[in-house]
This record gives sequence, structure tokens and C-alpha cells, in this order.
Amino acid sequence: MIPGSTASACAAVLQRDLTLAWRRRGDIAMPVLYALIVTTLFPFAVGPEPALLARIAGGVVFVTVLLAVLLSLDQLFRADIEDGSMEQLMLAPQPLALLVGMKVLAHWITSALPLIVVAPLLASMLRLPAAAMPALLLALAIATPLLSLLGAVLVALTAGSRRSGMLLALMLLPLCVPVVIFAAGAVAAAQEGLPWLAPIAWLGAGLVMAVVLAPLASAAALRIAMES
Amino acid sequence: MANWVPLWLHRLGSPPVFYRFAGAVRPWALGLALALGAVALYAGLFVAPADYQQGDAYRIIFIHVPSAWMSLFIYGAMTLAAFVGLVWRIKIAEVVAMESAPVGAAFTFITLATGSLWGKPMWGTWWTWDARLTSELVLLFIYLGIVGLYHSFEDRRQGARAACFLVLVGAVNVPIVHFSVNWWNTLHQGSTVRLVGPSHIEASMLWPLLTMMAATKLYYIASLFARVRADLIASEGGKAWVRELLTREEGAA
Amino acid sequence: MSSLPSPSILLEARALGFSRQDERVFGPVDFDLRAGDIALVEGDNGSGKTTLMRVLTGMLRAGEGDVLFAGQPFSLTTMGGAIVFLGHHLGLKSDLTARENLDVSAGLYGVRDGTSPMEALRVVGLGGFEDEPVRRLSAGQKKRAALARLLLLPARVWLLDEPYANLDREGIALVNQLLDGHAARGGAALVTSHGAVSFAGGEPRRIRLHA
Repeated sequence: MIPGSTASACAAVLQRDLTLAWRRRGDIAMPVLYALIVTTLFPFAVGPEPALLARIAGGVVFVTVLLAVLLSLDQLFRADIEDGSMEQLMLAPQPLALLVGMKVLAHWITSALPLIVVAPLLASMLRLPAAAMPALLLALAIATPLLSLLGAVLVALTAGSRRSGMLLALMLLPLCVPVVIFAAGAVAAAQEGLPWLAPIAWLGAGLVMAVVLAPLASAAALRIAMES
Repeated sequence: MANWVPLWLHRLGSPPVFYRFAGAVRPWALGLALALGAVALYAGLFVAPADYQQGDAYRIIFIHVPSAWMSLFIYGAMTLAAFVGLVWRIKIAEVVAMESAPVGAAFTFITLATGSLWGKPMWGTWWTWDARLTSELVLLFIYLGIVGLYHSFEDRRQGARAACFLVLVGAVNVPIVHFSVNWWNTLHQGSTVRLVGPSHIEASMLWPLLTMMAATKLYYIASLFARVRADLIASEGGKAWVRELLTREEGAA
Repeated sequence: MSSLPSPSILLEARALGFSRQDERVFGPVDFDLRAGDIALVEGDNGSGKTTLMRVLTGMLRAGEGDVLFAGQPFSLTTMGGAIVFLGHHLGLKSDLTARENLDVSAGLYGVRDGTSPMEALRVVGLGGFEDEPVRRLSAGQKKRAALARLLLLPARVWLLDEPYANLDREGIALVNQLLDGHAARGGAALVTSHGAVSFAGGEPRRIRLHA
């Protein structure tokens, strides 16, 4: 690969973020642990009755994963802005949107992928029928990158502000309502033995749109954040 | 078109000119809004006949429906202002967008509150996950997110630009939310009772509704202009025209 | 291209000024930077040196005036990579080693002919510390690791914001040596400093900013 080419720049950013995550691999376990804790609490809250748990399993898994992703999103750009790495990314010859896309990809690999891996465990703790499992995994595989991309736009917007945290959650809620509706809807349909590909297709359409637009929007938002 | 229109718009982009313009328009808009509102309220509550199905309970639509219209109308106006502000970096447009958000949030809240009040006698419950109400609730969160983002920045101008960007993101999101909530509502067989009850509406019910709509629009203008004036005074505090204004007012007092 | 406007001018500022909240931060200033020029931006704390640097990199939009790069209006999207910037924040990841940090920069910006990350680290005096995480380096060593990036990347214009801070006498000499070498290769650099600086190669151009 020629240094300075677009491919090498993407590889450099991706490899950098993955290496950084690996050096602090304890942090990767945090969202997974969080999801486990929340899922464990549900049977205590609503009772251990299998039929009731199976009824809410899909929804609980999605909300839990959503919150776990949100938890890890806040740091997406903040560290880079604080140590000056963001300036280096912005001045690079490649489009910022592309580099931001790579950062989101690295974030998805390190925080959402582990959640997808443990999702079957979470779902079976809540007695989700095995028949609905493929729908759950497919929906998660499309919904989590969508959440990471949408979240990246909002994190970029709050990057220049004093506080985020709750504000980020408030801003993210309207954006993830459709994601949760279609993802959990697919699982619910699968559980009832209905065709569940239509909501998955809507999610897929959303993902395609987000892959194109979200990095551009994040880059524009980061430029606003760096104007200080 | 005569070329004084763009020229006039261009002049309006300057804070002192807009400040004076807003100050001149505001009392008229507010007075007219209150007068029209009073007429519409009287007509709606006493003149319009009771509905044969819902009795007097339906009369809340004279508040509910205009508020619901305004909650969307203000989002539209805000999106336009945010777009203009971001693309051409016009400060007044950014301020207009930012000061529209709290007014829009207030109308959205009124829509939700009156919908809930109406729901109690009609559906026997304060809240139901009806598609329209749910969409309104999400809209309220969008408004609150915009207000929150604007105020979370040290630098007002930077906060305004970031929040204007969020306005545009929200504008893309609102139709998607509405579509997904509709889909979700049919999937879960929710209540299909529509808040706007009668499908054909009598003239004696329609004109108070339209009058109230005009009143809410005028109220928005009055409220927006007052807020923009306050914002301009705060953000342009150090400038010559504000100091001039203050000394003149002190002299008059 | 028949009318290349005097190709030796790399970076040019025309009546450049910046205001924040309608309060003037600096300017208007005029200057140009030709191949082989080293210019020192002087000014007290708060005189807008850092802001000037950020405007020149394109991260901040100039309120008034223009920045021209090789005669063309400057924009990040078209001119990216032509400038290397060293700011208060060094842009180093503390969990990565010095060499890994340079590898990232090389991947993004490309490499100047005839250099390598190892070679650049050796020149700035970090030979033997290549595989040490940046976290464990001293403040001066971190600065040197960031300076190694200047040597490695092919950009012709260097914008250095307070490069002498945190450096000992030897380090200051190193910065001067890097600047001389860069000028000799036909590069140009703009350097800010709030203190007196003695350049090795004679008197530099000076641009004064007033608070």
C-alpha cells in the first residue's frame, strides 16, 4: 500500500483505533457486562414466568443493546479532540467523512460486535424461542451499525459542548425510535410465526442511507465542533 | 419582482434593523393574537353546537388541533431558518431558529396535554400509544434536544450552529418517525380512534378553528420576536447599537 | 498553466482577520511565505497567535480577508495534506508507541522521500525509545516525538504553534536545526513564540500581532 493513499489512510485509522481498543481491552467488556446486568434484573422485576419473559425478550434485548452502545459512544471523538489527534485527521489529504467512517467501523467492531455475540445468551436468559433467534441476530447485525452511525453524528455535535451524557441520550432517542420499532418488530413477528423480512428490509434501507449520509453529517458536525 | 424585496431582506439580516422591525411588529401581532384567540375561544365554547357523539368534550379540539398544527408549522419554519443560517452564515436566521424551538416545544406540550385531557373521557385513560400522540411525544423530545444542545455550549454562536445542524437532522427524522410509528401501531393493533373526531365538520365548528389557527400563528410571531429581541440584546451586548439604545432609554426614563 | 502567480509564494494572507462574538481576536494582517522562508509570529499572550494558526490551517473560517495557498484560495477539502500543523495538543495517542504514532501519520499524509519513521525518531533523539508507549515519555520527549512527524511528512508548509515550549536548550537547538533543514529543502515555516528566540541561521522574518 502506498503511504498517503486513501486505502492506507483508512487502514491507518482503523488499525489505530483497534490497537487503542485492544490496549484497553478491559473497556471492551464494559458494555457487555452492562447488558448482562440489565438483562438479569428483568426477571426479578417482572417475575420469572417463561411466557411473560418470552413476550418481552426481543424488546428488552434491543433496548439493552441500545443503551450499552450509547454508553460507549460518548468517547468516540472526545479523546481525539482532547489530545489533538482530531486536528491531524482534519488536515489529512483524505476526506474527513471517510476517516470518520473508519472510526465508526472500529467503534462498531469493538463495542457492538461483542454485544451481538452475547445476544443469544441474553435472549435465552429471557426464554426467547429458538425459532426467533435468526431474526434477532439479523436485526441486531443491521440495527447496531445503524445506531453507531446515527450516534456518531450526535456525538460529533456534542463534541464541542461542555457536557453531554444525558443530553446525548435525549438527542438520540428520536433517532433510534424507528430503529427499535423495526428491529423489535421483526423479532416479534418471527415469534408469532409471521413473515419478518419486511421490517428487516426497512432497517437495511435505513442502514444504506446512514452509511452514505452519516459520515458526511458527522464530518460537518465535527467541523462545527472544532470551530472554537 | 422589484429588487427592493431582496434588498429589504438583506437589510433585515442586520441585528439592529431586525431589532427595530421586531419591536414595531410585536405589539400588533400580540394584540391581534389575543383578540382573535378570545373570539375563537368564545365561538368554540359557546356558539358552536355540541357534537352528537362526544357532547361537549370535543370542544378541546379548538385548542388541541391548532396547537398540533403549530407544533409542525414551527418545526418547518425553524428548519428553513436553520438551513439559511447554516448555509449563508446569517446570524439572525440562526437566532430565529433557536428562539423558535422553545415556542414549538410549548405548542407540542399543549398538544400532548390537551390530547391527554381529551383521552380521559373518550378512552377512559390519560395516555394511549396512539400513532399521532406518540409522534407528537417524539417531536417534543426533538425540540428539547435542540434547546438542550443550544444551551450546552460556552460559545453561543457555536451552540447555535450545532443546534441548527440538529434541526436539519430532526427534519429528516420526523417523517421517518411518523412512518415507523404508524407501522408499529398497525402491527400492535393499537387504538384506532382518531382524535380529530368528525370527518365532516360543520361551518359553525370550522370558523372558530380557523380563527384560532390564525391567532396561534400571530402569537408565534409575537413570542418569537420578543425572544429574538432578548437574545440579540444578550449576545450583542457590547456593540455600539445596543449601548446607544440603552443610553437613549435611560435618557427617556 | 500559463499564469502561475509567482510559484515561490507558498502561503499568503491578505488583510486576514478574525473576530469572535464580534470582538476582534487578531488582524488584519498581511504577509506571504515563500519557499525557504522561516517567519516568526510574535505577540503577547492573548494576541491571537494560536487563532491565526487555526485560521491558516483552515479549521477556523477567516472572518475577513483571504488565505491563498500557492495562489489558490485555501480550503481543507482541496489542499489537505499540504500543511503540517503542530499545536498545543501534540496529536499523539498516549497508548501507542512513538513509532506506531508516526505510522498513523505516515498512513494519512504519506512519507517524504528517503525517510522512515525509525530514521525520523533517530534524528530527533528518540533512538532507543521507538517502542515505548508515549504515555511513559517525558514532556520534552513527547514534543520530540511530535517534531519527528515534521521530518517524516512530505508537506512543504509547517505551521508550528509554540514549538519551543517544554524543550531544553538541546531541544531548542533541534527545532532550529529542523527549521534550517526544511528551509534549505525549499519548504516554508510559520512559527509562533511568546518569548525571545534565537535562530541559528540569522535573523528570521517577524510578523507582529497586537493584543
